[in-house]
Amino acid sequence: MTTELVRLSVDGREVEVPKGTGLVETAAAAGVEIPVFCYEPRLGPPVGACRMCLVEIEGLPKLQAGCTLTAQDGMVIKTAATSAKAADGQNATLEFILVNHPLDCPVCDKGGECPLQDLTFRYGPGVTRMTFPKVTFDKPIPVSPLIALDRERCILCYRCTRFSEAVAEDGQLVARNRGNQSMITTFGEDPYRAPFSGNVVELCPVGALTSTQYRFEARPWDIQQIPTVCGLCPVGCNTSVTTREGKAKRVLSRNHPEIDGGWLCDKGRYATPHLDAPDRIREPLRRLHRIGLEPISWDDALDEAERLLRGAQGRIVTALSGSETIEQAYALGRLLRGGLGAHSAVLPESTSSALDAFRLPLSGIATGEIIVVVGDDEVVDRVPIVDLWLRKARRNGTEVIVYGPTGAAGNLPPGGAAAALHALTEPGSPLGKRLRASDRAVLIWCGPGGGGGARVAEAAHSLGFDEKPGCGAFHLAATPNGRGVAIAWAAAADEDESDPEPIGLLVVVGDDAAASPSVRALAERAEAVIAVTMFQGLAGGWADLVLPATAALERDGTLLNVEGRLQRLRRAVVPPVPDELAWIAKLAGRFDVDVSPHASVLFEEISARCFDGATAADHAELPPRTPYEAPPPGQALPMAVPPRPAEDHFVGELRLVRYRPLFSGPQVERVRELQFQRPEREIELAAADAERRQVATGDTVVVRSNGTSVELRARINRRLAEGIARIADEHAADLHPTIEVAKP
Amino acid sequence: MATPEVVFAGTDGGAVTDIAQYEATGGFAGLAKARAMTPDEVIEELNVSQLRGRGGAFFPTGRKWSFVPKPEQIAKPHYLVVNADESEPGTFKDREIMLRVPFRFLEGCLIAAYAIQSKHVFIYIRGEYEQEFEVLRDALTALHRAKLLGDVTIVLHRGAGAYICGEETALLESLEGRRGQPRTKPPFPAIAGLYAAPTAVNNVESITTATSVLEMGGAEYSTLGVANSTGTRVFSLSGNVVNGGNYELPHGFPLKDLIYEVGGGIPGGRKLKAVIPGGSSTVVMTPDEVEQATLDFDSLTSLGTAIGSAAVIAIDDRCCMVQLGIRVSQFYEHESCGKCTPCRVGTHWLTQILQKIEDGRAAQADLDLLLDVCDRILGKCLCPLGDSDAIAVASYVDKFRDEFQAHIDHAGCPLGGSSSLEAVLAPVAVHGHIAHKAVPA
Amino acid sequence: MNVRTSALYEEIQKIRKRYPDELSAVMPALQLAQVEHGGWLPPDAFREVADALDLTPAYCLSIASFYDMFRLAPVGETVVEVCTNISCGLAGAQRVVEAFERELLLHAGETSPDGRFTLRTVECLGGCGWATIVAVNNRHRLRVTAADVPALVAELREKGSDGNA
Repeated sequence: MTTELVRLSVDGREVEVPKGTGLVETAAAAGVEIPVFCYEPRLGPPVGACRMCLVEIEGLPKLQAGCTLTAQDGMVIKTAATSAKAADGQNATLEFILVNHPLDCPVCDKGGECPLQDLTFRYGPGVTRMTFPKVTFDKPIPVSPLIALDRERCILCYRCTRFSEAVAEDGQLVARNRGNQSMITTFGEDPYRAPFSGNVVELCPVGALTSTQYRFEARPWDIQQIPTVCGLCPVGCNTSVTTREGKAKRVLSRNHPEIDGGWLCDKGRYATPHLDAPDRIREPLRRLHRIGLEPISWDDALDEAERLLRGAQGRIVTALSGSETIEQAYALGRLLRGGLGAHSAVLPESTSSALDAFRLPLSGIATGEIIVVVGDDEVVDRVPIVDLWLRKARRNGTEVIVYGPTGAAGNLPPGGAAAALHALTEPGSPLGKRLRASDRAVLIWCGPGGGGGARVAEAAHSLGFDEKPGCGAFHLAATPNGRGVAIAWAAAADEDESDPEPIGLLVVVGDDAAASPSVRALAERAEAVIAVTMFQGLAGGWADLVLPATAALERDGTLLNVEGRLQRLRRAVVPPVPDELAWIAKLAGRFDVDVSPHASVLFEEISARCFDGATAADHAELPPRTPYEAPPPGQALPMAVPPRPAEDHFVGELRLVRYRPLFSGPQVERVRELQFQRPEREIELAAADAERRQVATGDTVVVRSNGTSVELRARINRRLAEGIARIADEHAADLHPTIEVAKP
Repeated sequence: MATPEVVFAGTDGGAVTDIAQYEATGGFAGLAKARAMTPDEVIEELNVSQLRGRGGAFFPTGRKWSFVPKPEQIAKPHYLVVNADESEPGTFKDREIMLRVPFRFLEGCLIAAYAIQSKHVFIYIRGEYEQEFEVLRDALTALHRAKLLGDVTIVLHRGAGAYICGEETALLESLEGRRGQPRTKPPFPAIAGLYAAPTAVNNVESITTATSVLEMGGAEYSTLGVANSTGTRVFSLSGNVVNGGNYELPHGFPLKDLIYEVGGGIPGGRKLKAVIPGGSSTVVMTPDEVEQATLDFDSLTSLGTAIGSAAVIAIDDRCCMVQLGIRVSQFYEHESCGKCTPCRVGTHWLTQILQKIEDGRAAQADLDLLLDVCDRILGKCLCPLGDSDAIAVASYVDKFRDEFQAHIDHAGCPLGGSSSLEAVLAPVAVHGHIAHKAVPA
Repeated sequence: MNVRTSALYEEIQKIRKRYPDELSAVMPALQLAQVEHGGWLPPDAFREVADALDLTPAYCLSIASFYDMFRLAPVGETVVEVCTNISCGLAGAQRVVEAFERELLLHAGETSPDGRFTLRTVECLGGCGWATIVAVNNRHRLRVTAADVPALVAELREKGSDGNA
């Protein structure tokens, strides 16, 4: 398809752009600035509200809002640079904007990186003619524990409310009132409680919305920006970390149009204070019976580690979290597998390599035709940014079909995803037929099970996606780098694993492994435990030796994301403890294994074996597809449990879906400002189930199963399928998959 | 004075709210005629009549309908949206049309829907028009019972108090369930209007007149009125006149006759000071100009003003023009939607400067600033609301400069508290949109 | 808040069906909720409408606060609104406002402590030729003069909340 090009002139400069290009972009192509405040193409169609972009267009009597127009052949555009009329128009807009603006730049966080400040210098009046009292408001208003609102600085460009309404679709941040009484607000005292709220701070072109974490923390001239990626989920949204005097102060988006579209979730944006958590482990610890843990020197710690490793005589099990870099997992594998023959490992949920046949950038979701999401979990809880891509797809008119407890295609019992997916590949399935016919169909697995995407790859293959580059399949993994870790661990040695019994030593790596109940159960059977973790709270009581861990923001290394894309993690801040690679390399030396302490060297080794020699320079690119390989036979497809039809007037059992909410885990737990985002102590019920039990939203209910009972607040979720209830993991205690719910 | 009635024909000064009575006096003949034609022929009939929009923009109605793409061009539902959100100060004609000839109005809706090949009609009626809503609701029921709707649905949608929703794109936003803030154009409603589908938005009087055009034929209709302004018009006469009210008169009718003959002149033997000829947003006229003016597009345009919504407000010599400016500006400030900067900020600023002049605190520079702020609003807003304020206020200074000057020279109002608009309490001065007083439970 | 199936919820579901896009139902739904809640929209009204339309209370508030006829604070049983726009103003609307203030012992913008009356000034009600226009619970009285006000208030006090013409 060829795009029609049009020729036009901007301030006398001829430029050729595709027809339909916005005038702001057209002018930029000609090297001319059209200044803007409200214009932000990622928020949807232009609104023409602020009037900063006024330009003169030959043949039109009035000044035009440049942001709302598109390039037409022969158009003659004059900006403030060449048109006195346009210059006066822009000057007028700034005069109006500044009428009520407090001009408190010296004490404003935005000062120095503020579009209003910059444009006022370039286009604005030097003096004010406004002699009346400015409109004043109480300030700052806490929009949430994360965001402060200064209404006096607000220029009502409506970027934030458009984000809330038309991108995140959370409907929490809105404009209230009319005319010059208009203001940005939430509902009453309710906080802006939504997964992506922090993006409004970054969108704000003035200092009206500021981050409570960043307020008064730094000035633009004493900060550094380090480009890296987020390491908290398997997307790896591209970020820029602002540091001052060696401390991470904030995280901004570094727009990767294929991966994150320039948005971040609040977990990725606001979790950095966990680096300075009071219970952060800063030195190695050794277990002292009855007393607890005592700090020891690194020399002693390495001696102790060596002693424990040798003492286990190869009866070692390693539990990994899936948040390690590829290099860390590989280095550990070289040490433990290569040096000690300890091949047994508990690996996090991995992602099947069969999916490489259906690679697609995440942005491909937004341009899809039909998208099928299957699984027990909500997309936003596992891989938040994909939720935004799905919303964008729906807005683009894409049909998004969700098979899950809260899906519109509905009534999928917990664990029924594989069967639902399989049903699509049956010859009689009407939806399957359409998926086969579509050139832009996407399958997404969002939940536990399913062979880490093997099932979804199988379905994609049988639907003929191999041949269609616009079709794709994704497994939304539960850990940031589970697949990369599995590949690196596998690459470290060739032998097969055999489970030792009894376990001589359990090596627990990372906070997720340390927090996992199944790993804890293994530890009970182990003679000794080494834990590598960041926080005291996760180490006490069970580890014989604790080695301090680093956070993703403190590491150099490589992550393999949900698309199968390798991304470079850059150290944004120097950790308060030695890098894992440094002590792994030292320890490896004691076992005559040569492990480099440098991530780049390690990656070269792994890349040669696993990633076709890809180098760091390739990281931003999505690698080409590889042919589909069927999984080894004998992996039986887990069959769905048939849904139990609810009988009228019978208050019976409900199937429980436990889920791990986005705002949970060791990092979130350690950030004060994020606590309000954590799930409430509640149980979600379908409207019919609530009705049957005479339960309304807000009522307290008792949830029972097999002798366990929990009191929770009920909330009716009208999207939830009948017969199913949802509870966040942290509130579900020991409840079994079948529960009874009743009023106390 | 015998003048032809088109809109109110057959009412004999009263109302025809009974469907049988309407039918007996020739009602629904226009609809029958239209349905016997092709949609394009109906549009052509409107083109021949030269009927132009009665909402204020005076855009040719037939041309507007012809801009709506054919169903085969855009395969989306087509919509007819009727603008019954009459709220331009001075204007009260549409409410009387809906009260007195509801069937002629609804018949026009069906004719228009037929012409643009729409099956869905929405009538956006001002929230404050409760009685009018009830009359239309009952008329709609009767129409439904009489099986005259065919496969067309007509939905009455009530506004909730926002002048800006009379602007067509704001109206569409409001109807879609959003804040009534105007959209940027293009795209124009004809292509992407309600629910982003092809839409014609017409005023109540235009739609009602279309019924008569079909009934009598476009050619005959075009013989009424004057060139460029054919047909009759329902003029809303108010202000300082003896007989305020709506008067259906042919275009071209002398303005002074409307005021002095039809309207019975200025009460109490006072002197006419100024006339606002087409709703609050139009340029004010001096008595001299009133003498020359006829009520049609060309005459009023040549005098530098506009026929607008045909709402004539007579102002006698007790009125301070600075106070008039304040009151008009307060209105626009109150009704500004808050979307675009110059209007949101500028309307309030104009009110403040005018108040300063009225209070006798202004210097010469303030008068210059007033005009400069008007100039900086004008032509830079997203919709015409901000312009309306700037045009009106600037015209008061332009035509009554001496009076403004006197406020500055004598540090206060020359009328010394006797102005008819003295201290008149605008809503914006009392309550914003935040209620500040709660009743104890 | 009780979100069990309520009459309001059911009524709003009917309104939804009138429109090709359900969002259009938000204004009629708020109008209905305002009647149900005695003439204003308390926070619960927003929660109820939001629940019935799959919207957020914040969105409903953003809509309601844009329009003058939605009230975000309690109003009296009888709401008296006097138009003070140009034509009514020229005809002496301010005298009418002042007469109401005297008779009701209220300033414009206030509600009486006993909750019986609210007095407001409003923008053009579209009755300019019949000035001054006074709306009593949305029913328009035409050609009201200051001299008419004492009798009118007496009538309203007698009739109570449905004191319509």
